[in-house]
Amino acid sequence: MNFRSFLIILFGIILYSVSHSASSVEEKFSFEDESKRALFIELGNELRCPKCQNQNIADSNAVVAKDITAKVYELVKDGKSKDEIISYMKLRYGDFVHYEPPITPLTLWLWLLPLIFILFGCVFMFLLSKKKQVDISQEQLQKADEWLDTK
Amino acid sequence: MKKVAIFGLPLAFFLLAAVFLMRGLYSNPAERDSTLIGQPLPPFQLVDVMDEAIQYRNDALTGEVNLINVWGTWCQTCAVELPFLTQLKDQGVNVVGLYHELDSDPAFGVKSVDVIRTEITEMLKTLGNPYRFNMLDEGRRYSLDLGVTGAPETFLIDKSGKVRLHHIGDLNQRVWQSKFARLYSELESE
Repeated sequence: MNFRSFLIILFGIILYSVSHSASSVEEKFSFEDESKRALFIELGNELRCPKCQNQNIADSNAVVAKDITAKVYELVKDGKSKDEIISYMKLRYGDFVHYEPPITPLTLWLWLLPLIFILFGCVFMFLLSKKKQVDISQEQLQKADEWLDTK
Repeated sequence: MKKVAIFGLPLAFFLLAAVFLMRGLYSNPAERDSTLIGQPLPPFQLVDVMDEAIQYRNDALTGEVNLINVWGTWCQTCAVELPFLTQLKDQGVNVVGLYHELDSDPAFGVKSVDVIRTEITEMLKTLGNPYRFNMLDEGRRYSLDLGVTGAPETFLIDKSGKVRLHHIGDLNQRVWQSKFARLYSELESE
């Protein structure tokens, strides 16, 4: 066997195993309804794995992520809405499980702080520009007018 | 006045950010308050891990203060905490096991129930058996209701069957003293 045919066979084996594993995932979560499939994929991206912090459940291989995924699949198949499924998970794993934080007195600052910064900046700029105007005395203005007139 | 503002404001801002980040440095990212604190245990109907003819419902965990310990023979940290749990049992603490089944799940292993039972018996014989009984959580469905993220985890249940404390990770002398001991004796005397 020469090197080239070895490569072809190797490539074939890799291609086969990759396509095989992809199809097995498809088989595991099958939907008759396309909108349900879309909802399942959406939730897989939005729900956060409680064990692994910065991974969503679709991305994570933790046991708990697999369990949540299986439950989401079951609930989606049952015809539950997105909000119902998210609150089902929040009831068990807290707000942490959803990547979109709810507005509470504590999280309100996430939205308020940038606005306060912008407001603060605007006020600062306004005061700065006002102060500059005051610094120009009447005398200086007259002088400027004279120069302009002479030209 | 102006100078104070120019140096003071950024300094104040820096200190604030430093304190905020310092806190993050020493906080435990795995620590999260369970949504069940103060709530009654979700309804369950689970079989004994050793004998599926024996069934447990919520009334099995009322009338006395109980610890529910989520564990499995496949879990290394659970093996580490078994001797300490046994010590607690010897002091009169009720410990109930919720067996976090993984090995018979087609997604993770292919062990038969008999093999799992032998493994449990072996492990409890060598490391100590703290459990009054062990409930089998097939497919980890009840663990999902409890918001369990993995084994080991421990819940403290009061006499009325309400969840009072949730601990993620192994239970040891330090955790027991700092987190459990006081509340446990309070609940005991209720």
